[in-house]
Amino acid sequence: MDQVLDIILRFVAITVVFVVVLLIVAYTVLAERRILGFIQGRLGPNRVGYGGFLQPFADLLKFILKEDIVPDKSTRFIYFLAPVVTTMAAMMTMIVYPFGPEVKLPVIGEIQLVVARFDVALLYVLGITSLGVYGIALAGWSSNNKYSLMGGLRSSAQMISYELALGLSLIGPIMLAGTLDLGQIVEVQSRWHGTGWLILFAPLSFITYLIAAIAETNRVPFDLPEAETELVAGFHTEYSAMKFALFFLAEYINMFTVSMLATTLFLGGWNVPFADVVFGRGTFLFALVSVIGFLVKVMFFLFLYIWIRGTLPRFRFDQLMNFGWKFLLPLALVSIFITATLIFSKVI
Amino acid sequence: MLVLLFILFGGLAIGCAINVVAQRNPLYCAISLIGVFMSLACLYLMLAAPFIAAVQVIVYAGAIMVLVVFVIMLLNVEQEERRKIRMGFLLPAAIALAAALIAEVTFILASVDSEPLQVSDLGLTRSIGPALFTQYLLPFEITSILLLMAIVGAMTLARRTRELSTGARVIPGAQVLALSEIDPTTSHEEPGTIESHTTSEAAQVLGITDLRNQTRRE
Repeated sequence: MDQVLDIILRFVAITVVFVVVLLIVAYTVLAERRILGFIQGRLGPNRVGYGGFLQPFADLLKFILKEDIVPDKSTRFIYFLAPVVTTMAAMMTMIVYPFGPEVKLPVIGEIQLVVARFDVALLYVLGITSLGVYGIALAGWSSNNKYSLMGGLRSSAQMISYELALGLSLIGPIMLAGTLDLGQIVEVQSRWHGTGWLILFAPLSFITYLIAAIAETNRVPFDLPEAETELVAGFHTEYSAMKFALFFLAEYINMFTVSMLATTLFLGGWNVPFADVVFGRGTFLFALVSVIGFLVKVMFFLFLYIWIRGTLPRFRFDQLMNFGWKFLLPLALVSIFITATLIFSKVI
Repeated sequence: MLVLLFILFGGLAIGCAINVVAQRNPLYCAISLIGVFMSLACLYLMLAAPFIAAVQVIVYAGAIMVLVVFVIMLLNVEQEERRKIRMGFLLPAAIALAAALIAEVTFILASVDSEPLQVSDLGLTRSIGPALFTQYLLPFEITSILLLMAIVGAMTLARRTRELSTGARVIPGAQVLALSEIDPTTSHEEPGTIESHTTSEAAQVLGITDLRNQTRRE
């Protein structure tokens, strides 16, 4: 009976997390359009609802109602499979991030603000992230369109290259925390009243991670796979209506999960400095402030993404590859070396 | 519960494995193989070895199969036509090997006691790490060196030699050429130029061998 209850609770937790994250993602799209508008000296969507507040729902409705065009000579099965794979890979990593500390609620009792907590959470994230490339590669191949194929190939090459730097940049925090469990990594950072953030000890890893993460999510300035000036829309040129919306959704969910990982590993996760002094650990207010702190940090990263998009031009493909292999990868190795030296010499 | 999951993922693994062989489109075969790896990862997870499961997904599904799919896409491999099996001796050999496998499985099922093993922490990262760097240090290092050798070997094989590219043509008469047109080892980043009258002169200026002339002399 307990097992059944546990499974039901997990399902409820997953649903809550998905709905909340999808809502935030929907509003990230709106925020991106408004902020880009501000940066470029125009208004952005502000007509639907107060200040464009209902724009995401209008967009969703439009995506559902549009005609779904399938190219005649596409490989049907894979063409339908690709957006599903992309979205699933993006969504599956969401469950391991701790949104807040343990909290005691009046009726339910003590609950953890994380869907699943296990030993190899970080490796799980890496594994699932590496599956995301299939969706894009298969979408490019199955569309039977040269622009799509070029986009898919570029994307695969880019994601394989930057995955190395991404993985290596995670080793710094892993060594500092001594665990792969994201919950424990956050716990480690709650020393000194929640200011023991790992970015203080591994700033180089943080920079490497940030750059590699932008490339991993195919965002400006690394958005070669969908460079619209050369490739129409890259791998999703032939996708329309809801299938296109799934790719769109997956990109923003990826942005969100990558930001969550950066927050969890480098910016202390849900730790808000000196919140334990003010509210005391384990209280409801403490948990609330922690969750809000976590979301604020994640939103900072999302804003950073949008800011970069409004500021930087796109790389050329050979520049992208050279930057990844000849600069970012050595930088990640150097940062591992420095962190290891600091740990070995007992400075940290 | 565990049995149900085992049947689910075991069945999935076998189904995908059969599909790998049965499909004619190479891309479908590759996708089925990814399915096999994922189901195996789930089985590892049920055997309390989360680290192995994660590594299975990262290395096989996330790296090796991406490369396979990449190559299939890049070369645009067509559907294989169904051919009749020419080598007739393969069939009896397959039957014999299958019989041996079934015999092994029956032996294991019959002789080994079916008591469930104690759940250990052997599969956890915390126990794998120290073991890898103390007890199994030598095999670990040897494997690393083997991989390093493979990387160096691949680079040596793929490295472009300092030979005149077969596409290099210099029309007789004075002309200025981009270095990268003549010498394949110069990248596009260093756009140097040379001045020459003939192809062999260009090769001489650059200090590279003109393979086309050699073959002509032979």
